[in-house]
Amino acid sequence: MLKTMNQKVSLVLVAIGALYLFGAFRIPSYPYAIVDADVLPKTLGVLLIVLSIFLFFAKDSETEEQKKRRDIPKKEIGMLLGVAGLILAYILLLEVIGFVLTTALFIFFCSFFLGYRNHVASGITAVVFPLVLYFMFTELLSITLPSGVLPF
Amino acid sequence: MGSLDGIITGFQTAFSLEAILFVILGVFVGTIIGMLPGLGPISAIAVMIPMTFGMEPATALIMMAGVYYGAIFGGSTSSILLNAPGVSGAVATSFDGYPMAQQGKAGKALAIAAIASFTGGTVSVVLLMLLAPALSSVAVSFGPAAYFALMLLGLTAIASLSEGSTIKALISAVAGFMVVTIGIDAQTGTQRYTFGNMNLLEGLDFLVIALGLFAIAEVCSLVLSRKDKSIGDTHNIGSLKLDKKDLKDMSGPMTRHSFLGFILGVLPGAGATIASFISYIFEKRLSKNPEEFGKGSVKGLAAPETANNAATSGAFVPLLSLGIPGSGTTAVMLGAFLVLGVQPGPMLMTDRPEIFWGVIASMYIGNIFLLIINLPLIPYFAKILKIPRPLLISLVIVFSMIGVYAISFNTFDLYMLLLFGVIGFLMRLFSFPAPPFILAFILGGMLEQSLRQALTISNGSLSIFLDDKIALSLLFLALLSFVFPLVKQLRKNKDKATEA
Repeated sequence: MLKTMNQKVSLVLVAIGALYLFGAFRIPSYPYAIVDADVLPKTLGVLLIVLSIFLFFAKDSETEEQKKRRDIPKKEIGMLLGVAGLILAYILLLEVIGFVLTTALFIFFCSFFLGYRNHVASGITAVVFPLVLYFMFTELLSITLPSGVLPF
Repeated sequence: MGSLDGIITGFQTAFSLEAILFVILGVFVGTIIGMLPGLGPISAIAVMIPMTFGMEPATALIMMAGVYYGAIFGGSTSSILLNAPGVSGAVATSFDGYPMAQQGKAGKALAIAAIASFTGGTVSVVLLMLLAPALSSVAVSFGPAAYFALMLLGLTAIASLSEGSTIKALISAVAGFMVVTIGIDAQTGTQRYTFGNMNLLEGLDFLVIALGLFAIAEVCSLVLSRKDKSIGDTHNIGSLKLDKKDLKDMSGPMTRHSFLGFILGVLPGAGATIASFISYIFEKRLSKNPEEFGKGSVKGLAAPETANNAATSGAFVPLLSLGIPGSGTTAVMLGAFLVLGVQPGPMLMTDRPEIFWGVIASMYIGNIFLLIINLPLIPYFAKILKIPRPLLISLVIVFSMIGVYAISFNTFDLYMLLLFGVIGFLMRLFSFPAPPFILAFILGGMLEQSLRQALTISNGSLSIFLDDKIALSLLFLALLSFVFPLVKQLRKNKDKATEA
């Protein structure tokens, strides 16, 4: 029934619009405002649903090249998820073991994971880059980054 | 006359040693980031914003402006050498620049691009100096209704001028607007879409959105394309020298497109990309030998390169004088102003002349340094393109993360960054343009505020938009820019239907 990608996408968007609209109706009202806080969200919710309906019936205007972008091999999806996992690990560790260590580990393992095998080059980058950034932020810009387990 | 004093203050600011150093740093970093495939001025500006924390606002913004036009210029280098434009504004540059490079004349092509960029940049700064104050003095009288209409026009224009489907661009804008409603409502103090989460009370920071939708989403694309071997195979650059005939061929397009590019840059929604394409087509139509275009024509290279740089200064006109960005890139630029506590708009020229005129005056210096840095250093810059992809990806991720962390010191924002990176990547996969999203996000707060102010003045009656002549005509333009592409698309569909 759902032939084109536009139709599938538009259904997802209608659902998002409906959820957003549901949220808009739950915004508490404020008695002294001529235009209350819920007016705009309600308008936006309706607008998104209307536009999605247009999209449902719209002719597919994508070029072949744009369609090809969606053909991602399974292995590459694994790669993307892997990088996302590494980013999550970075966020979790940042405030625990500190900026310099986390960043060094991240640069080294992320490059390795993506297939970079020149360990000397990535090792040097992983050590120099976080240290330079750390001192630039803390000394020059006076922005404190988490120092973590390192003594400085 | 106050404006002359302002100009003098501006030049004093721009010619201070500190400002000169930072504008050099800005164009240098901008050129490098702009050269990297996929990373355009938006990512360049967003990544550099954390560096400005604690800096003098005028100096910081002078540097950021340098990053902006440096990135536009850097994009053309990778266009010419690799046929891989770093930014969409440099796509037209590759039409004739890449063939020229293949003929072993890469050096010549880069020299033409540098000189054309310099001319376009410099001429348009003169125009910017003339037009921005004039527009500022007109805009002072704008009421909230007119402002609302102006911002709406900016949004519909960018949506209708985006590549691909107008409906998708509009959906993208609406989605950006929705995200900005998260947080405490500024007028009534009501919480909207915070789900009881403390971290959402102040809404999402624009850096989270900008870096997520552009830099992190680009990382995903880079991960997928990391094995493309074409990158890095740059042969000899060849001589940078131009002969008299080249210079003569360039002079016509450079003059024409300095003006045309500037005007297109001023218009909302247009910007460097459209300016460069229009200039290219225009120059081809004008040419006596249009068959040379696409095969390494000097004119075909000079025209878009002049235009995209001229458009960059043009885009500063609405940003500085109205406080309203006309494109995704200037929207992020506005974000940089706001982070530093500077509100661009009609009052900026009188209240903060050192910033208004300082940024403009610094563009002269910036353009000169762009030329000085680029001509001799081009062969070395080209080496940057050889940086291994896995390393580049890791570094871009780290830069984005620190950028976000340094504003809030809160890991919640980093999770949001990842979320918007995923959203940005999905938008790319399904061909939803990201610039309308970021523009709507930046304008959203102001748009809602001016709408509600206008309606409060009129006691809730929509007639205020009809009584205000400026608002009415702007709304009419917005409607036109909205209906026109739809009609065009319907016609196209009809033609297709009859053909089939």
